[in-house]
Amino acid sequence: MELLMPGLGLIFWMTVSFGLVLYILKKFAWKPILNVINQREKQLAKSFSDAKRIDYEMSQLAVVKTSKLAEAEQIREEIIAKAHADAERIIEEAREKAREEARIIGERADELIAAYKKEAMQEIKAQLSALSLDLAEKVLREEFSDRERNARYVDKLLEKVTHN
Amino acid sequence: MEADQSQRTQRAFYAGCYLACLFLILAAPIAAYAADDDAGETGPSFDARKVIVDHVLDSYDWHLFDIGDREFSLHLPVILFYEGKLYLFSSKRFDHGYATHKGFRLAPDGPLKGRAMRVLDDGVTPDPDASFIYDLSITKNVVAVFASSIILCLLFVSVGRQYKEADIYATPSGLPLFFEPIIIFVRDQIAILAIGPEKYKVFMPYLLTAFFFIFLNNLLGLLPIIPGGANVTGNISVTFVLAMFTFFTTHWYANRAYWKHMFNMPGVPMFLKFPIPILPLIEVVGAFIKPFTLMIRLFANMTAGHMVILSLTSLIFVLGSVSILMGYAISPITVIFLIFLNFLKILVSFLQAYIFTLFSAFFFGMAVPKADH
Repeated sequence: MELLMPGLGLIFWMTVSFGLVLYILKKFAWKPILNVINQREKQLAKSFSDAKRIDYEMSQLAVVKTSKLAEAEQIREEIIAKAHADAERIIEEAREKAREEARIIGERADELIAAYKKEAMQEIKAQLSALSLDLAEKVLREEFSDRERNARYVDKLLEKVTHN
Repeated sequence: MEADQSQRTQRAFYAGCYLACLFLILAAPIAAYAADDDAGETGPSFDARKVIVDHVLDSYDWHLFDIGDREFSLHLPVILFYEGKLYLFSSKRFDHGYATHKGFRLAPDGPLKGRAMRVLDDGVTPDPDASFIYDLSITKNVVAVFASSIILCLLFVSVGRQYKEADIYATPSGLPLFFEPIIIFVRDQIAILAIGPEKYKVFMPYLLTAFFFIFLNNLLGLLPIIPGGANVTGNISVTFVLAMFTFFTTHWYANRAYWKHMFNMPGVPMFLKFPIPILPLIEVVGAFIKPFTLMIRLFANMTAGHMVILSLTSLIFVLGSVSILMGYAISPITVIFLIFLNFLKILVSFLQAYIFTLFSAFFFGMAVPKADH
């Protein structure tokens, strides 16, 4: 029975000290401790979700990167192919042009040669005729003295010229 | 091979226990008979009940140790208000109940055993007309409460100082490292579990303080030396105050739904509430029974634990007073049991702190139900 009898003094002192302990610990211990623990947990949760989000974004970026790379590769190949084609075309064109030019030059040369030849022939003909006239005068002057021999001689010359 | 060995040792152990028991049973009557013969000459025999109850009860002085016949005690101040007068003196004046001082004496028995009572002029007879004594003495348990309060404050204020808002990622070390898991346990496994994640925060300071106060005092109660050894949490006054704190906290924070639930419970037929308010009556009584159970549970568990340990210790002296040989014979067994019991008491210390806090939290949870419950 004596165990079950509450004591006034102990109740009083216990109330006072427990109340004080409660007040002091609430103010100087539990508040800062719980504050920091809660904040830390909040921050950690946030960091985790951030990390997850960033991870997801990174994976998305990787996908984009591969597709971009493939695209770039394709474009590169296209450009190279086009460049090859262009180069070949340009070379072909140049060749064609050169050939044409050569042909034109050749034609012009032929024309010139023909012209020169014609001119030369004319000159030769003119000179020949002049020479012939000159010769003919000389012969005529010479030969007119001996009519018969001249006549034969003219015949002989004419024959020679016509042979040429 | 190894299993064989352990089986053999186990068998040997059981055989030993059996033989010891047999020896005790057979020897006891003979020894008791022998002791009866000597009783007249060897003085008073060992009174286990008195020892146990005196150890479990509060007292005005703190017995430290004996050397031979000399007793060393801490004599604590006695503070009495009686009929408007203050009496303040050292408990040494009571001389362990053998002396009367200023008309006060320790009650030798009865429900107020060991407390100051008014006596008549002869110095022995209790005063039948004595009015109530306001006894605010700093008793053993009061000192123990002060000591544990100081320990708690120093400990947790220093822990609190190490938590800085600026550096929340600092890895806890030292004391915070030890206490943080317990604090988180109280928060997650007690407060959030019983009250819910929305409303637990306001109750955290009380729950943590109650938990650590009970836990520390339970553990200190296991220590045989000062400031341990006082049966603080096994004292009905202390558990009464703790239960009252729970009671007042519950009703301070109780919301409309709680009061409505108590006096006008929704969803039950009217005849249970009017004209005879059976249900409200039950609810009101229940509101008082809840802290009452807290008070009794903690008190009974801790006191019972102390009593079991003291009983086992007393067994040595009981048997020793019968025959010194039997005292020696029982000692090893008792010591083994005592070691086991002390480990058990460490577990119980935690468990009772946990249970008190958890049930308090459940009562808080009932006081702040959701409105549409």
